[in-house]
Amino acid sequence: MQYLSLSLLIFLPLIGALIIWGPWFPQNEVKIRRFAKGYAGLIFIYSLFFLAFFNPLIEGFQFTETLTLPGGQAWLEPLGANFSVGADGISLLLIVLTTFLVLLALIASKYSITKRHKFYYSMIFVLQTAILGVFAAKDLFLFIIFWEIELIPMYFLISVWGTGRKEYSAMKFILYTFAGSIFMLASILALVFYHYQQLGILTFDLTTFTYMKAYTYPMMFGILTFLGFFIAFAVKLPIVPLHTWLPDAHVDAPTPVSMLLAGILLKMGGYGLIRMNLQILPEIMEVLAPLVIILGVINIIYAAIVAIAQKDLKKLVAYSSVSHMGIVLLGIGAMNVAGISGAIFQMAAHGVISAGLFMIVGVIYLRTHTREIADLGGLGQNSPKIMYFAMIIALGSLGLPLLIGFAAETLAFYGTFTSDVFRGFVLFGDYLPISVQALTAIAIVGVIFTAIYILWMFQRVFWGNMMDKWQKFHDASPHEMVVLISLIFVIVVFGVNPSGMTDIFVPTVDTLVKLMI
Amino acid sequence: MELLNDIKFALLPESVMVIFILLTAVLSFLPGKTRQGTIFYVSFIGIVLALLSTLVMDFSGEKEVFYGTFVSNYFTLVFRTIILAGTAFTLFLARDYVEGFGKNTGEFYFLLLTASLGAMLLTGANDLIMVFVALETLSISSFALCGYTKSDRLSNEASLKYLVFGAAASAVMLYGFSFIYGITAATNLPEISGFLSEYELNSILVIAFLFVLAGFGFKISAVPFQAWAPDVYEGSPIPVAAYLSVVSKTAGFAVLIRFITELFPETALFSIILAVVAVITMTAGNLMALGQQNIRRLMAYSSIAHAGYILLGLAVMTVDGITAMIFYLITYLFMNFGVWAAIELFALATGKDNIDDFAGLAVKHRYFALGMVLCLLSLAGIPITAGFFSKFYLFKAVAVAGYEYMVLLVIALINTAIALFYYMRVIKAIYLRPEPEIRHDHVFKIAFPVKMVMAISVTGVLLLGVFATPVIEKSKVLNSPTQEVAVNYSLVRE
Repeated sequence: MQYLSLSLLIFLPLIGALIIWGPWFPQNEVKIRRFAKGYAGLIFIYSLFFLAFFNPLIEGFQFTETLTLPGGQAWLEPLGANFSVGADGISLLLIVLTTFLVLLALIASKYSITKRHKFYYSMIFVLQTAILGVFAAKDLFLFIIFWEIELIPMYFLISVWGTGRKEYSAMKFILYTFAGSIFMLASILALVFYHYQQLGILTFDLTTFTYMKAYTYPMMFGILTFLGFFIAFAVKLPIVPLHTWLPDAHVDAPTPVSMLLAGILLKMGGYGLIRMNLQILPEIMEVLAPLVIILGVINIIYAAIVAIAQKDLKKLVAYSSVSHMGIVLLGIGAMNVAGISGAIFQMAAHGVISAGLFMIVGVIYLRTHTREIADLGGLGQNSPKIMYFAMIIALGSLGLPLLIGFAAETLAFYGTFTSDVFRGFVLFGDYLPISVQALTAIAIVGVIFTAIYILWMFQRVFWGNMMDKWQKFHDASPHEMVVLISLIFVIVVFGVNPSGMTDIFVPTVDTLVKLMI
Repeated sequence: MELLNDIKFALLPESVMVIFILLTAVLSFLPGKTRQGTIFYVSFIGIVLALLSTLVMDFSGEKEVFYGTFVSNYFTLVFRTIILAGTAFTLFLARDYVEGFGKNTGEFYFLLLTASLGAMLLTGANDLIMVFVALETLSISSFALCGYTKSDRLSNEASLKYLVFGAAASAVMLYGFSFIYGITAATNLPEISGFLSEYELNSILVIAFLFVLAGFGFKISAVPFQAWAPDVYEGSPIPVAAYLSVVSKTAGFAVLIRFITELFPETALFSIILAVVAVITMTAGNLMALGQQNIRRLMAYSSIAHAGYILLGLAVMTVDGITAMIFYLITYLFMNFGVWAAIELFALATGKDNIDDFAGLAVKHRYFALGMVLCLLSLAGIPITAGFFSKFYLFKAVAVAGYEYMVLLVIALINTAIALFYYMRVIKAIYLRPEPEIRHDHVFKIAFPVKMVMAISVTGVLLLGVFATPVIEKSKVLNSPTQEVAVNYSLVRE
């Protein structure tokens, strides 16, 4: 047990980045890639040990570590902040998802990354450190630090190795996220100040804010703080009016980076919503939950409709991400065990599925150098393996039973349907029958839209007559097989046996909901 | 005897500086090529000795010397240390830059040290006359330094502009001093403070305050007294620009903090005025920086914006706010000198200073590029650099000061988002733009002194970013400009 150190897990990738970036490492492309893959695999295995030794039934954080400098001082004594990490069921699931997807992204990097290898692999590892840090942070200050560090490697990853208007997209990404995170910073400072004013203790420790407090926030203060957090996470998740960076960033990023972007980075938004908005400000969440649910429904329907109209394959997948993130929002808005569990499950499910979809898009783009759906067709004839893999992933995306997407969506929709957050909500009186059941029904229509665009896309790309120019379209290479099979393995295993995954985080959600009421 | 005592207890670093200033003046008559090197080393030894001399002094209490015109305490120690460190950085930057000036290189060091002497005296000036004299010592030396490259048109323009603005600002400030003297019949700050504590706030006092603010605002390049900054930074020699953006500004802040905390502690109106100036300064600086093509002009606007952030700490009028200001100034020393060192290196090698000219730097010089990018990220306030911590600490101080300052906090935060855009533009040029074909053969050799400034700056930026606590503690213990005020402040706030 004592060999399992979360902070070591966080900083292992950073050490890897230094090893690769330094002058001592050979400039040889193959060596760099092999080392990176092996190292990421090591990190993944190490993170699995955490899963093995994790006891879901213990309330609160496990594997906690707090830095104490010689002399008994905290890391940043004058600020009241400290380096303290820990993991509960929710964060642990996302930590393992991160290490898993980074490993797969590195394997997938073989074909799509053709220049500046040292820089690329060290940036991926820096990114991994930042993301792991966000999920493991038990201190609000640490959370902000890692949240913002993540911007820099992502900026370079998109703008150096991307395609198309990559610099524009990268800049848009960084400005949107930074602008959002600024509101979060203001909210955190406001919370800390309020705590300081009430109790005279300056602290950024997450647990002081999430558990029972000796005071309640004034309504206006609470709502403003809530909105500050919400804007930051709405940019990241993304929620519809603030989503415009996502299609740009996804389309212009190289394949492995798209996989990470959709697979993990969006989850930071959902994680933040659960950790901050739901856990720190549950009483405000209760008031604003109808709004969150309505935004979730808009997300699902709007993005699905936009996705149907897309001509670009990658953009379609990007919008499907936005649509699926609406389900997360819906589940969080439901504020019951089923809803929140569904949201978390959906985050994990979407992490795997969207990574798979982006991988498929990357595989096609590598061979055809086009992403226009109209230019493709009949690709299944030459490459049955790619087609069948793509089919399983696509079916998982539209929520076919026995695949992971189904379990997640069902749980989230069930939670929303049985939610009672609309209890006191009488926006239009009796004139407009706006109820959570009706909204859930509308959201479920979104799944039909998902089926439409996914199946239609699949049909246009893989079936039909093959164009002459794609005669040389060859089937999946071993690297691609490994990535796709690993993803499909997860999709199928946890689709057939969802409790294998829910067992990790549902007890945490249970205590979380118990504390809210 | 009294003079010797005064020197021993309060003015030791300044006295060391005076000796070495005279020495450099004499040495500039040395013949031949050895001169430049000799003067450089002599100046450097002077600064080191001045720094070391602070060790033998006792800073536990407060020491008033020269009939109460100069005061030496912890507060001045911190600022004098920042100023001396900044001067040392400037010296290193100047080592290779000045060589290109031809024959008259000795005076450069002479003027530089004199300016620093003025800056050091300014931090502890306890009398209106002393404030003015110290400020002018700093200013006049700076005017001459700006115009040091005589044959360069831009340098001449910079010098003249700085002179005209500076003279006007000094005149206005002096006018403000005359009002204060008219009201209180005293020039000594504690005496004035004693008088003002029983004095009703009236329009004459407000006018006097505004006029004085104009004088100090010019030094710290706060809007609307900032107009000189871009031209001066663009035209003057690069070490001088770096010096103005850090050392001169630090001295300006020192005297501003002393002036406000001593004369007008807890005056709500002045707090509002300072807040408004701060907000306008940072917003204007950031917005104007967005469209700049020249990196030196960009740095000028960025330094204006930073002056706005730092002013926030004064506007909230708490001890915590002033601690945050001092910590910010310490980090600012490192990150700003890092960027200026990079600019100088690049200018020495290629003679260019447009942002687009930095294209492809990352390929040719990856450590140099990485260092510059780290300093830029620090200026933008991205963790884990020092800039993030200083901004965060400052914003925390603003947040903890009270609800009424939340607006300030939000504006400052939005400003940091705007600022990120133009810093990213430089980073984009360094890392993303393909290297232009023509400049392939320009793989330049990096001069050692400049490399050292760069290395120290980057180390400082990273170390302060990770282990900020000891330095924050240092700026906290030492921050009370006068003991009473600190007590005043803490009584009101806690």
